[in-house]
Amino acid sequence: MNAGGDVIISVKHLAVAYGERQILRDINFEVHRGEVLVIIGRSGCGKSTLLKHMIWLFRPQQGEVWIEGENIVSAEGDARTQLLRHFGVVFQSGALFGSLTVAENVGLPLGEFTNLPEAARNYVALSLLKVVGLAEAAHRMPAELSGGMQKRAAIARAMALDPHILFLDEPSAGLDPVTSAGLDALIQELSRYFGITFVIVTHELYSINAIADRVIMLDEQTRSIIAEGSPAELRRQTDNPAIRRFFNREPLPGQTIQPSR
Amino acid sequence: MTETTQPPAQAEAHRLADGRVSVRLYGSLDINTMGGLWRELDVRLRPMQALGLDVDASDLDIRGGGGLALLHCLKAGGFSPGAVVNLHGLNPELEEILRLHAGQDPEEDQTGQRRPPSVLEEIGTAARGLALDFREQIAFVGSMARAMAAALFHPQRLRWTEVKRLCIAAGANALPIVTLLSFLIGLIIGFEGSKPLAQFGAQIYIADMVGFAAVRELGPMMTAIMLAGRSGAAFAAEIGTMKIDEELAALTAMGLDPMQFLALQRVAAGIFLTPVLTVYTMFTGILGGTLVMLSLGFSLPVIYHEMTTRLCVGDIGIGLGKSVVFGLIFSAVGCLRGFQTGQGPIAVGLSATRAVVSSIFLIIFADTVFAAAEFLFSK
Repeated sequence: MNAGGDVIISVKHLAVAYGERQILRDINFEVHRGEVLVIIGRSGCGKSTLLKHMIWLFRPQQGEVWIEGENIVSAEGDARTQLLRHFGVVFQSGALFGSLTVAENVGLPLGEFTNLPEAARNYVALSLLKVVGLAEAAHRMPAELSGGMQKRAAIARAMALDPHILFLDEPSAGLDPVTSAGLDALIQELSRYFGITFVIVTHELYSINAIADRVIMLDEQTRSIIAEGSPAELRRQTDNPAIRRFFNREPLPGQTIQPSR
Repeated sequence: MTETTQPPAQAEAHRLADGRVSVRLYGSLDINTMGGLWRELDVRLRPMQALGLDVDASDLDIRGGGGLALLHCLKAGGFSPGAVVNLHGLNPELEEILRLHAGQDPEEDQTGQRRPPSVLEEIGTAARGLALDFREQIAFVGSMARAMAAALFHPQRLRWTEVKRLCIAAGANALPIVTLLSFLIGLIIGFEGSKPLAQFGAQIYIADMVGFAAVRELGPMMTAIMLAGRSGAAFAAEIGTMKIDEELAALTAMGLDPMQFLALQRVAAGIFLTPVLTVYTMFTGILGGTLVMLSLGFSLPVIYHEMTTRLCVGDIGIGLGKSVVFGLIFSAVGCLRGFQTGQGPIAVGLSATRAVVSSIFLIIFADTVFAAAEFLFSK
């Protein structure tokens, strides 16, 4: 992993509310080039919401998201389209297009955004599928793939335009430990060989320990970042009950059935 | 992957004395600059028919997987078929990833590619699909008959609040479109009939034409076709989405029969609301035709008298009888297509389309059976 490069993403004073309900409050953090940053927190704390605002699926009510020196919140038209090409996104479900084969899914952005001849597009698509270990599934339909294979295919599609950053929303959700470990290894390889910066939302402890250079933790009470650092540093913060419970997998008081006396 | 000021990737190639070709690649190679280099290599190297390629990539700045795909194609002889390729000058990490992930020419990985099916295969697949569909339809009719019989003997088992909700969603909410279409059709029949009948001085018979058409044919059929397009498709989409979300599996796992729990209420709603809407359609259709007759100078009592002397209660009964059958058809077919929903995002849309097409076909077919039966029995 390549942590320690220049700042590639900068989130400044980001705030999100749905009506009266505050989802995120004054979020500030930076991501360095080549780094694997993992956003953690309990279910419903706003991790995926933060990710979706970083990639401009939603416009935040307040704050800025700077990606490679451009504020994506204020970018409009062609400037935003260009900015969107700096990153790829892998959604929780994979979000492969069900009517296209796996290779066609990967080749779709190449056809839309590059001037590559068709032979080159096919070659790049197959080559990317080889990188993620799915060459044999290139001509299968997404519905014929397992969950782990769909995630890999989605990563290949997200990599098609040589993005500098990959955003992954819960990549290990619903996967068995072996498949999940394989996905972690793939992320590490892509970070190492292609220098891709990763921003990953997850609450899989094994994945956090395996892949994260740095972790930021969101809190569902304060709706803000309560901790930031390497996984080891966060694990040592046992004085903070929210962090301790997360890393030690402790239930909240009152969530367990107490034996009657 | 830092920003660069390097020029886009380019190639220099010249033939060596031993029949080999020396290629020097330089500049920045990413997915945006790759198209130009790909074409350049294709145009320049292919006609050279080199025995071997000596590729120097030491001045090439490779950014991302796209560039690697080009290098791999070059190395695999994609631009110089039959040539032995010697690629050097890559940094060790890139060499490693080329070795790790691109050991074989991707274009050779066509083992999984589907060949297009032959005509015979397509006919066989279609015939098999029809046979399976027919079998599923028979099974569905059986299950539905059993569920309906159970509901007849134990009406309290039917979820009446759900039936009421469906009747409102599928029936009451359809009133505006039903009103508009049936009224317009009444107008059309009136206008179309007025000219030819005027030639015989028989414009008074527009009343009979509109009355018979609205009560016996267009009322029930138009209502059913509108409901098939609006509500039958919705039934298929709702149940199809539930199937994809494993809600049907959850019902089954809880010991609940999806047929009884979901389909029966929809079929009951279809059977109840179609005759009600049909009566309304008959009325608005007749209203449309009456307006035309009023514009032709006939008075309301005359139109009423002409219509009631020809139309009898039996005609209304036939129209209502048809509407019950049509209601059963569109709702049951909607549910069946929902249960047959496959996997993937297009499956629900496909089910909705199939529900509409099958319903309309079956409604017209049933109407033909009604017409033929009536013709035979009225002799």
